[in-house]
Amino acid sequence: MKGLIRRILPRTLAARTALFLLLALMAVQAAGLTIHALDRVDLQRAAMEREMSARVFGLWRSMVVALPDRRPSVLAELELPTGLEAGLDDQPWVRSGMLPAPPEVLRMVRPEILLGGPPRWRAREVQAGMGFGTLYVAALLPDGSQWVNLKLHMPPLRPWHSETFLIAFLLMTAAAALLIVWATRRLTRPVRDLARAANALGRDVNAPPMPEDGPLEVSTAAHAFNTMAERIRRFVGDRTQMLAAIGHDLRTPITRLKLRAEFMEDEEQRAKMLSDLEEMEAMVNATLAFARDDAAAEPSVPLDLAALCRTVLDEAADARPYAPPEAFAYEGPERLTVRGRPIALKRALANLVANAANYGNAARVQLVPPQVGQAAQIQLRVEDEGPGIPEESQEAVFQPFRRLEASRNRETGGVGLGLPIARNILRAHGGDVVLRNRPEGGLLAVATLPA
Amino acid sequence: MEPAPHILVVDDDREIRDLLARFLEKQGFRVTTAREAREARRAWPLGRYHIVVLDLMMPGESGLDFARWLRSQSDVPIVMLTAMGEETDRIVGLELGADDYVAKPFNPRELLARIRAVMRRAHGEGPRRDPLPSAIRFGGWVLEPQRRRLLNPDGAEVSLTGGEYELLTVLVERPNRVLTRDMLMDLLRGRQAGPFDRAIDVAVSRLRRKLEDDGRNPSLIKTVRGGGYVLAADVERAA
Repeated sequence: MKGLIRRILPRTLAARTALFLLLALMAVQAAGLTIHALDRVDLQRAAMEREMSARVFGLWRSMVVALPDRRPSVLAELELPTGLEAGLDDQPWVRSGMLPAPPEVLRMVRPEILLGGPPRWRAREVQAGMGFGTLYVAALLPDGSQWVNLKLHMPPLRPWHSETFLIAFLLMTAAAALLIVWATRRLTRPVRDLARAANALGRDVNAPPMPEDGPLEVSTAAHAFNTMAERIRRFVGDRTQMLAAIGHDLRTPITRLKLRAEFMEDEEQRAKMLSDLEEMEAMVNATLAFARDDAAAEPSVPLDLAALCRTVLDEAADARPYAPPEAFAYEGPERLTVRGRPIALKRALANLVANAANYGNAARVQLVPPQVGQAAQIQLRVEDEGPGIPEESQEAVFQPFRRLEASRNRETGGVGLGLPIARNILRAHGGDVVLRNRPEGGLLAVATLPA
Repeated sequence: MEPAPHILVVDDDREIRDLLARFLEKQGFRVTTAREAREARRAWPLGRYHIVVLDLMMPGESGLDFARWLRSQSDVPIVMLTAMGEETDRIVGLELGADDYVAKPFNPRELLARIRAVMRRAHGEGPRRDPLPSAIRFGGWVLEPQRRRLLNPDGAEVSLTGGEYELLTVLVERPNRVLTRDMLMDLLRGRQAGPFDRAIDVAVSRLRRKLEDDGRNPSLIKTVRGGGYVLAADVERAA
């Protein structure tokens, strides 16, 4: 039941509000028009009563005043309203066993008139009964010779019989619907604006603030949102500055240590010290790359993504001379031009490739150009032969400084910034990167870029 | 015997300055140090320097301003010490006429290799050394040495590894001249920090691939029988 309602209900707040308002308005209109129609029925009935009783009385008088042998011809000449039949008979048409006529029906004919009046006009006897929706009234003429029989076929009352009713209903509903749709759209626009602003803030902390105008509630919400965005901005800014300062300040001591290492006598210790320093430098560089939004400062230019993939793979292979050459393979077009920031994109891809090579012993890159008939999207798939990452941690590794203890030890190094940096860069390009385990084993990183 | 080459080291960190001086002296250079641009200006007329190693980030007058002043005085080779990521500074530095740059924290041996390469280029190829051209065109392709990038005929940037870039630079600087593997090894070792032991052939085949040069029937980088390569294209330089 709930599921059904959910399926039928429109999804937007504006459409829902409009639908509810419209249904309520239609109900109110229907009720009002019904009251109006019932009033009309009462009027109709009163008019009919007056007409009928007048005709019946006229008929009765004609019969009373007419000579007994002239009565049938007089009756035949009388014009009777539709639904009313009259006849002269020795017997009343009212049969025993007929239902008694209800008073509101009887009022149509008002037989009491026939019983009133001067004695020479007065009916000797009046009988009434109902049969199959038809009122039968029989009145014995004052001379007692014959019965004047009346058969009134009740015309059905038609409260809805009015073209104006339907037209009015439709017109009012349509006018109200237009107003309601306009008003609800207007009313829910701030909600849409808020959602849009929140989305923009998610992509870029420095997104422009929301305009703080409109009705009080809306401007209050916008102000609250802007305050929140400002706090987030300050928080991110402080953290970035701190990281940048640490990274920057560490470069001088690392440079000194590298120089000092040159004066060490022990060649083996010197090499070890230099390799430690290289590692520190890599960490500092990663931290700086993450902290500083380099990607934003670099201009976007057309670049050959296929060449970029090859460069990254060749450099990764060169840095690992003992890995088999087939561990670093490229598959895809010879050339694929996209717009992007070359240094940032290279860093993102290099991070993905380094991750695959360090933890998965291989990095095979597949570049998938946009497919015809699908979203204009380029896919960059980097797969390895490692143990993969448990599904529940596949998102967590994109958090800065997060490393998986089980698979990542000191040997493989890294600060836990490679994937967050890659994701930041790709998202800044309007793309993204996600991880998943391959059914054949190993991890697959799927990076997407808008074509 | 030729006198030891004289180096002017300008860096605001005293320890780095002194360690660098000691390191370079150990390598057979004569070293004068300066704490910042003002001191360097004073030291400039006092010696005949063969090369200047200049820190880009200094208190007071920036390294860029000092480099500009230095260029107006002389065409002494300049090696800049930059911080990682200061891409724009590096480009401006190269446009101003710095000959090379090394990112801090640098490996001293890499710095030494760069110093030697820059000096060899500056003094080996005649007294008047060309500043890095902004663009070198060949066969529809554009190499931009100042920005250290390659553009394909459509204008899209084509990424190169360090080795590929150095090899391409060597080739476009000597168009239509046969370079043997030994010559290439020699020319490249001067630029490339660390060993460039990977076969030249591998680098050439990678480069051909990026240049969309058919490996079996190359039109840009041709193989010469007897072991050598030649860039078969007209080269046009823009300052």
